Order: sequence, then structure tokens, then C-alpha cells
Amino acid sequence: MDTTGEIRPLACWQGMDRVIDEVLPSTTIILTSGGCSWNRCLMCQYRHERYTGADKENISQLMLRQLSYIEKNLDCQKTPLIKLYTSGSFFDPAEVPQDVCDAVASQFHGKCMVIESRIDYTDIDRITRFVEILDDGTHAIPLFLALGLETSSDEIREKCIDKGVTFDAYQKTADLLHDHGLGVKSYLLHKPPYLTEKEAYDDMIQSISDIAPFSEMISMNPCSVQRNTHVEKLWKAGYYRPPYLWSIIEVLHAAKPHLLCDPLAGGRARGPHNCGTCDPVLLDGIRDYALTADRELLLSLRQVQCTCHEEWEYVMEHEKPYNMPLTS
Amino acid sequence: MKRFSVIARDGLARVGRLETINGQELYLPDACDTENIFPSLALQKRTNIPPVEDASFIARFPWPSDCEPEMLHPCLSPDASLAGTVMTPNWHILLQNPRRFLQYLIPRKTQVPPDTAWYLPAAALPSNAAILVCAGYDLFDCTGVDLMSARGLFCLPEGQYPAKEAFSRELCSCPGCTKEDLLTHNRDALRKELALIRYRIMDGTFPEMLEMRCRTDPTLVSIIRLLAAEPCTEKATPVNRTKPLLATSTDTLRRIEIVRWRDRVIHRYKPPAADVAVFLPCSAKKPYSLSNSHQKFSSAIRQRAHELIVTSPLGLVPREIEILYPAAHYDVPVTGYWDHEERHLIQDTISQYLTLHPYRRVISHLGGDAHTIVTDAAEAAGLTVESTCSRHPTDPADLACLHETLSGERKVKMAFLKGMLSYQFGYVPDTSGLVLKGRYKKQVVLENRRQIFSIDPYTGFLRPTFDGWRILPTGYRVYIDNFLPQGDILAPGVIEADPAIRPGDEVFVVGDTAMATGRAVMGADEMVRSGRGIAVKVRKVKKL
Repeated sequence: MDTTGEIRPLACWQGMDRVIDEVLPSTTIILTSGGCSWNRCLMCQYRHERYTGADKENISQLMLRQLSYIEKNLDCQKTPLIKLYTSGSFFDPAEVPQDVCDAVASQFHGKCMVIESRIDYTDIDRITRFVEILDDGTHAIPLFLALGLETSSDEIREKCIDKGVTFDAYQKTADLLHDHGLGVKSYLLHKPPYLTEKEAYDDMIQSISDIAPFSEMISMNPCSVQRNTHVEKLWKAGYYRPPYLWSIIEVLHAAKPHLLCDPLAGGRARGPHNCGTCDPVLLDGIRDYALTADRELLLSLRQVQCTCHEEWEYVMEHEKPYNMPLTS
Repeated sequence: MKRFSVIARDGLARVGRLETINGQELYLPDACDTENIFPSLALQKRTNIPPVEDASFIARFPWPSDCEPEMLHPCLSPDASLAGTVMTPNWHILLQNPRRFLQYLIPRKTQVPPDTAWYLPAAALPSNAAILVCAGYDLFDCTGVDLMSARGLFCLPEGQYPAKEAFSRELCSCPGCTKEDLLTHNRDALRKELALIRYRIMDGTFPEMLEMRCRTDPTLVSIIRLLAAEPCTEKATPVNRTKPLLATSTDTLRRIEIVRWRDRVIHRYKPPAADVAVFLPCSAKKPYSLSNSHQKFSSAIRQRAHELIVTSPLGLVPREIEILYPAAHYDVPVTGYWDHEERHLIQDTISQYLTLHPYRRVISHLGGDAHTIVTDAAEAAGLTVESTCSRHPTDPADLACLHETLSGERKVKMAFLKGMLSYQFGYVPDTSGLVLKGRYKKQVVLENRRQIFSIDPYTGFLRPTFDGWRILPTGYRVYIDNFLPQGDILAPGVIEADPAIRPGDEVFVVGDTAMATGRAVMGADEMVRSGRGIAVKVRKVKKL
């Protein structure tokens, strides 16, 4: 077996991304790692993406080979921004060995990076060591930690997500990162299971105002139905409906800060969707807004005429914990 | 707690009164603003737990327990002492999965007291309301129809249509429709349908309505078929009605009264001492013996054989019990064609009957398919059939042949009482000395000129007097507390009841200080478990 060649990462692509007030060319990389240590969230299929049964040395070797694939196949010269995900926590030593951490930092020396890690894997010594290798002074904030808080409500996070972190821990982590001159990109999850359309909307509005003081960037992920998850089981039984695109637009509109949002599986039964007719135009609008932060665009999206708007209004007002979901 | 009293029932379907705030009463089934009646419903916040979640999930997250109505979950035992209103939150989704729906529903139905109103949120539409009522739900809301209005869909009991089409084609002329007000039309359509359901339950013709209504959706047909097979539905289904039983679809073959008839003819009914049986065709006129054809058959037979009528969907009607419900009450489309399902059921009934009662001679005075059915059934029971019909059962030559075939056979001593008593009460008491007197609809049974039974002219059931109950030493007893009944027997007064009792049955009420004759309004199960409502309509009371 070839143990030296490059391995294609789970996914990688280049595009444009908004970082605070700038739109930058970016490279997004999703590496296969040792896998998420928590491995419990009800809607997450990424946790199944892992090198199962591999020891630390093995993992390290497999991950380094993915890095060399990127080195060879992607031109990162032109992208000042590198976003890196591992379907878990980059700063979890069990998931990403130290030598891989170091290799990433030196490979992307001088770049601005967004790296995802669970709040419980944000060991500040490990992060500062990473930043020391990465940073060459080009960027005011060389590293943004992408923290999946999902909601500021501990009650919802425990029941509807089973994430195992607290808002309190998030706040402490965010403060610590800021103290070290690093940035925080917070992830919210719009409409986990067991919430009505309105409860999910209210949760986002509350969460956004709760986390805004701790975040340079907020990304809102509308929940989608991923394979081999508890949410998929509920969805198949008729007990989960992803959010309406109308709700997403309403949150984007009502939120004071700009929100990043790229609805996964948008317009499909498994993803956030409306009636099917108005979905493409609204999805384009939501993705444009994420990049341009153009409030006028949001206003025009809210004006889009579709027969399903009345249905959505009805669901927002009348879906209750005891009669949900009202629609599919 | 808001109390619920059942006024009429038909299987799991009921009409009842729900007390609401400020002493007002609601007649259920109906669709209401339930958050107005039950303010604690509106307080529910983030309490959703779908019925498909397991016990470990419920153990981790609080199930709303201080709510009226009490919320039921398949993993939690309901508080059986609670009566009032219960609800099955989020079960509207389960209607798409009839087997799971019933698997969750039936155990709860047998645990919760019968005088409890059942609320199913966000489910009722004019097109499914009858089926939801048939499943034992009483209370609904307008969420389902209002959602249809929001979607621009116009609701009728037959289904949903685009509102624009409905208005432009003038499908309805209700006050809402004249103003093109869809919300009003849809709510009215649901309330109208529920009003009709209440009427049909009170009228005793709800099963016929149900068969009409379930045709719009295969899942609804599944629900009524599965429900018909549940013992708890049978326990609450009346043994008799005064209205015709219309056997207009194949589903009637599985209707509880029909299944019960076939079962009782095989397992309860006792035939007269006869060793020759003649199978005859049915007639449109009921009871059969009033028809021209049957008068011809009888004059050919001259009581020299036991007369058994072959018919769909009942299968087999012995002559002595032809006036009992539903034998004198059913009507069935006649085409001469017997479909496979009814052939099979009828043949099975007859072969079981003949196995239990092996006659020396079996004569078939039938033509076509009916003759084949009897021949096959007899063969399965090890008997050979003689045919006396080669043209048409009423053809003079065939009648002569029937007459001739029976020559030399002795006259059978007819045993009407034996047949009727065994069918109705499940055993044959000593009937010596009893005389059946009077014409059809005015018959009475006398012993030494003293009346011991009258026969209900509408149902054909025997109504025992106190003397009548003396010759029926066991069964159909309702035991009451130590009190003298003033009027009817109420459920809380019932201590015990023979489990065989069904609504409509004649019962003997027995207590320490009084006894009474009467007719059961509830089945035994409901009498014992209910805290409210009339259990027995009393005819006569005797102080001890």
C-alpha cells in the first residue's frame, strides 16, 4: 500500500468570503481527522467522517498527506484567507496531532485563518503556539476561532442539539481569545429539532443579541437533515421540518449584526425550504447577502411574492409544541 | 377539571358533553378554540417531545405534567384516576402511519377512563373528521382547516380543492362562500361535518357515514379496518340498532355487527333437533318469511327440515333467529355476483356451522354461486349436498322437487325460543312450558299465561321480565351498590358487570336492596370503569 502519496481531503475549494468588513479570496479545506471526540450532536453527520481505528502516528501521517495534496493542487498564493475544518475540533490533540497543527501553521504562514474547534478544545497554549508559527504580522487578526455555540440557550442546546457545552464556557473562551488578540467567529444553528418555527426564530434573535458582543463574525447555519443522524430519524417519521427560507430572511433582517449564512441543501426536502417555487431566488439572495451585507437586498427579498408566504405566516403564529410540525 | 359525560356511543365514537368555564357546555365531537378552553395549553413553551421519542429521552427532559388536558405519550402510563380531558400531542403526524397510530392509541384507550374527552390537535378536516371520531377522538381545533385556508385550499368532506376553482365554480353557497371568505367556509365545513357526525351517532347510523367518508384516502381506510379488528371497539359496539344496516361495500364484511353475527351463529346459536337441513336463498323483504318466495319455500318444506338462509354479508341465518338484528335489518346490493372475499367468509361460516351440527341430509335449494358455496362448505365438513334447484328457487318445478325430496321426513319441532335465547344470552335455559304467542312485532313469551319475555319489535331481542330472568340463571347481570334506583342506573353505582354485556343488551340489575330489568346503554367495560353517565336504562325496579 502506498503510504507516501497525497490524499485528497474530504473537500476543498476556492471562492470569496466576507471577513468582518472585507471580501477576500479564500481557500476552504475540510480535512479528514481522527474525528470528533464528542461525537453526539443530534443533527451532525460530519462526526462519522474520521479515520477509525488509526493510531496517533497514523492519523498524523494521513493528515500530512492531505496537506501535501493541497500544497500540490491548490494555488493558495492568491487567497489571503484560509478556512480550515476537520468535522470536529482542530485543537483537540486526540483528533489532530501536534505535528499536524504545526505543519498547518507553517504551510499557511502569513495567512489569515478561520479554524473550527469545539469550545472545550481551545487550549490557549496550543493556540498561541499555532499563532506564533502562523503569524507574520500581515493581518491584524491572524486567526479566528470558529466556535460552534449553536444557541445561547443552554436548555435548547442540551435538549435539541446535545452539544455538551455551555454559554458560560463560550463567553470565557471568547474573552480569553480576545485577550490574546485573536478573533471569534460564532456559529449558530437555526431550528434544531423539537422547536416550532417561531421558537426557532426567537432563539436565533435572542442568541444573536447575546453573542454579538463576543463575536467578530456570526454565521447562522439553518439545520438540515443529514444521513445517519437522529434528526434524520425524526424527519423520516414526519417529526422534523427544516426552517422556512422566509424565517431565515426574517432573522437576517431582524439581526443587528451582519450574519453569514450558506443554507446547506437549500430548497430541498432535507434542507431549509419554502414551497419550491420561490426557493431559488431566495437562496441566491441569502448567499449574496452573506457576501455583500446589502440591507437593501434583504428588504427586496422580504417583498418577494409567493403563495407560500401566507402558509409560513400561519405556521409562525400557530405551530405549537403540541401540534408540530404543521407542514412538511 | 372540566368534566366530560358521554351521552351516546358507537364503538369508540361518542357524543358527549364537556363542561367548560363559566358553566357552559360543549357538545362533542366539535372543533373549538382549545387554548381558550384550556389556558394552560397556551403556556406550553419549548416542551415538544414527539411520540416517537423513547423513554430515555423523556426521562431526561420534562414532559408537561401540570397541563389540562393531560398529555399522553406512548412511553408514559396515563394517570388512570384522572378523568376530564386528555390529549395526544403531535399525533396528527401519526395518521400517515395507521399501524403505529393504532399501536400507540389502543393501549391508552383501555387505560384512560371512558368518560374522558380525547383531544387531537391540528388534525381535523371535513374529509377525515369521521375517521378521527371513529378512533375515539372527541375534541378538535381549527388549526387543520385554517392551515388549508392559508394555503388557498377549499375543504369539503370529499377532499380539498383550489379555492379559486371552488369559488368560480360555485361549489358551495354558504355565507363564507358568498363573500369568497375561505377561512369562514373551511371552519363552517368542519363544524357542519362534526354536527352531522353527532347526529349520525345519536341516530345509530354512524358506521354507514364512516364508510362513505373514508374513501377519500387509503390511510383512512386502513385506520377503520384496523380499528374494526380491535377488541376494545367490539366491546363498545351495540348489539342492536333500530336502523337498517346498509352493506354497501366490501368493508361491511368486517363490520363488527357482521363479524359478531357470524361468530354467534357458529359458537352461541343452538339449532332445533333436526337431522335434515335445507339451505334457502335470502329475500329482499325482511324478515324473510314475510316474502313471497319464502312463503313458497315454507309450503314446499312443510316443517320437514331445518331452514337455513344463505346470504351476504351475514353468511347464514337460521330461520328461528331471522327477526334478530341485523338479520331483519340489513340491505345489500344484489347483482348475482359474489366476490371472492364474501364467498370465502360465507363458505367458512357454513362449513364451521355444519362441522358443529352435522345433519343427516343437507339439501340445497339454491342456484348459481350460492349453491356452489354451500356444496363446497358441506364438502369441507364431510357432508354431501342434494340439490333441488335446477332452474330458479321459486320455479314451480323446483319447488315440487323440494317438496318431493323431503317426502317421508318427519316434521321438525321448531325451537324459536331456543334459537333466540342461545343467540342472545349464549346458552339454552330450560324452555319447557314456555309458549311464544302473537304476530310478528307483537310477540310475547308466556309461562302459565304469565308474560316472561316480550320481543322488541325493532330489534327482535327478547326482553325478560323478572320472571324471565328467573329462567336465565346466569349471565348479563349488572351488580350495583346497596341503593334503591330512582330511575336509571348510573355508572358510578355499578360494582361489577358481566363482561359479555354490550350496549343494547338486555340486563338484570342486582343489588342488596333492589333488582331491576333494563337495557344496557354502555358495554360492561364502560359501566365498570366510568364515573359518569347512564349505564342501564331501567324498565322496572323491584324493592327487596
